[in-house]
Amino acid sequence: MKEATLRAEAFPEAAVRSRARTGAADAFPPADEYGQALFGADVGSPDPTCPIDRLRLVPPIFVPQRMAQLIELAREPVYRDVLLETTIGGFRSALPLYVSAFGSTEAASVDLGIAASRQAGRLGIPMVVGENVMPVNSYGRLEADAEQSLLGRISAYQKEALDGYGGVVVQQSTEDADAEVWNLVYSDPNVLPLLQSGRLAFELKVGQGAKPGLGGMTLVGAGAAERLADAYLLDPVLGGGQILRSSSPGTFTEEILRQQIRLMRNNYPRARIWVKLPPARDVAAAAQVAWAAGADAVTVDGAEAGTGWAPRAFLRQVGLPLGECLRRIGHDRAAPDPSCLLVSGRMWEGARVAKCLALGANAAGLGRAALLAVDTDPDQGLVNLVECLALELQLLISALGKYNVEALGTEDVWSPLEI
Amino acid sequence: MTETRIPETQAEPRLPASPREHLTSPVTRSVLTIQNRILAATRQFLGSQGFTELLPPIIGPVTDPGARGAKQVDVDYYGHRYKLMTSAILYKQAALTSFDKIFFIAPNIRLEPLETASTSRHLAEFHQIDIEVANASRDDAIGIAEGLVRHVVRQVVEELPGELEAVGRDIGALAGLLTQPFGRRTHATAVANLTAIGHAQSPDAEIDWVGEAMLSEQVETPFFVTDYPKGSRGFYDRESKDQPGMLRNFDLIAAEGYGELCSGSEREQDYATIVARMRETAENPAKYAWYLQMLKDGVPPSAGFGLGLERFTRYVAGLDSVWQASAFPKVPGIASP
Repeated sequence: MKEATLRAEAFPEAAVRSRARTGAADAFPPADEYGQALFGADVGSPDPTCPIDRLRLVPPIFVPQRMAQLIELAREPVYRDVLLETTIGGFRSALPLYVSAFGSTEAASVDLGIAASRQAGRLGIPMVVGENVMPVNSYGRLEADAEQSLLGRISAYQKEALDGYGGVVVQQSTEDADAEVWNLVYSDPNVLPLLQSGRLAFELKVGQGAKPGLGGMTLVGAGAAERLADAYLLDPVLGGGQILRSSSPGTFTEEILRQQIRLMRNNYPRARIWVKLPPARDVAAAAQVAWAAGADAVTVDGAEAGTGWAPRAFLRQVGLPLGECLRRIGHDRAAPDPSCLLVSGRMWEGARVAKCLALGANAAGLGRAALLAVDTDPDQGLVNLVECLALELQLLISALGKYNVEALGTEDVWSPLEI
Repeated sequence: MTETRIPETQAEPRLPASPREHLTSPVTRSVLTIQNRILAATRQFLGSQGFTELLPPIIGPVTDPGARGAKQVDVDYYGHRYKLMTSAILYKQAALTSFDKIFFIAPNIRLEPLETASTSRHLAEFHQIDIEVANASRDDAIGIAEGLVRHVVRQVVEELPGELEAVGRDIGALAGLLTQPFGRRTHATAVANLTAIGHAQSPDAEIDWVGEAMLSEQVETPFFVTDYPKGSRGFYDRESKDQPGMLRNFDLIAAEGYGELCSGSEREQDYATIVARMRETAENPAKYAWYLQMLKDGVPPSAGFGLGLERFTRYVAGLDSVWQASAFPKVPGIASP
């Protein structure tokens, strides 16, 4: 196993790595301490400023859905009876999870991207490939270093994909429209199996959690900068030969968002259409526009999210927390609403995912957690992490008296303040 | 790493084994003779109407982004990313600063989605009879398209009966085209027509390829579909002032199931409107610098269309597939000479 190199100080890195190594057993305290240590509520870990962390999942005593399950099974239901399979943005998914985009940012590049692709395919969960992977790392059909490319990631996923499950979602933002990433993928014979099995989607990136209001940012060397000069803002602000390469945030009005989605549906009728929104103050209005225009999924990246380079001011003080995004979107949403809402932002364990699902999300995206997991173990780390998370979801959902992940609702959470 | 290949089911079964087999076939010779006459009759008709033929550009920093899902071909032009023309629409508008009525016989390259390999009417390399007229309306463009098609078909029918017979064309099927005005229906009506026969369509999108063929099968005379919704076409089709969301454009659909032959519109030429429309079509205005500067400096309002030469040939000659109307066919996804 290679030595882990990624760091994620603003993230529960040690806990994620532990899961990536040990898998589902990590849902519990160390077994070798059983009988010697006393365990109780861990009051240290939740973030008191996070609306989701402040929620508690609250099991009921009276459990009609468990009763129905008891009749169905002719025995008392247990947590392993909870079904986690669901639909995510038009794909069947083995779990209410997907791997969210981590782009071309240096930390996320190549080896980790390929490792995450393989394991996501094996798990039967969708995977998003970030914008500018192709403009920065190439597509890979003619190049000698094809493994490094966008096609390398797609191929790695396809090779191990669980039959009938999951899908690949390819992002594109304003600047990489120049490279026509979607058109290239859509017309590529190598991607035909995904297209024919309904497992290809394109994600319009309107913004992202770590730096809402800004476009993508990466640091590049002088050589790469020269190559990218036509398309991006290149800022030598950091010195030392490193250049900050910025995308624009892209200009959106309601009409622009609506028409871009319609054009995607028009041009790629066999692909699913996803739209990624930043944690902006009008996130609920934008989600409604996207769904009405025919988006198969709207992804909301909370201000807690992000794998890429971002200015400190944005990391600490800009954007709505995911919990507030969910509250605003839920407020405008008719129930039951068949439209698909996906969320990301500091997802790595089952309770946070379960709370988001209870607040109206259909699935949660793993970003930094997925990267740390494959950095810990390139062959099995993500699978281990997800197996642990899945076990926690089964434990939690069964405790709430439910046996299908799609049954979670607002009655399952309690807030000290009304959320 | 990757071997580009198409599954058997996607490929047309009757593609020629070699360029020699195709080029020496009596059918190909008849078809190309008919095509040659189509071109001559086109030039004659447009010349008589005061059009100037210009030679089209092959490459440019940008090309028409309005091709449904097709990939553009990049060219490394002294270190700049250039494109092979998917259509010369932007250059047609520019050319009107020189002449009021222009046309190209323009080669176009579109790396079409693989599903188009089985539509019988897509080629990755094809030609358009590409027309633009200054100070013209959509009705003017429709009138020219109808007149041109009728003139060309009449000339082929009258002067090449032997070639049409050699390829098995039923000339009687073209009688309506020669004598009756072409019908018109709106996109909304076409969507309703298809929905009524069980082929559901989005009201916000292009009519799909199967739908176009179904509408085409129901008629004996070509007809125009007008008023496509925004979100289905490029930024240069003008939006209706009276009906926002509706474009002042049209397609010409052939009879007998041959499907779409031609797309056209009144053009938008207002700078600020074009910038907004570019964003609506997910384009990056920065790469259209020369075109936007041209609009800022002023281009005449115009209307025009592009008529697919190989599709038109296929229709006139009654061919099963559009590749038969090309001397050197490139069916999408199939590596051929």
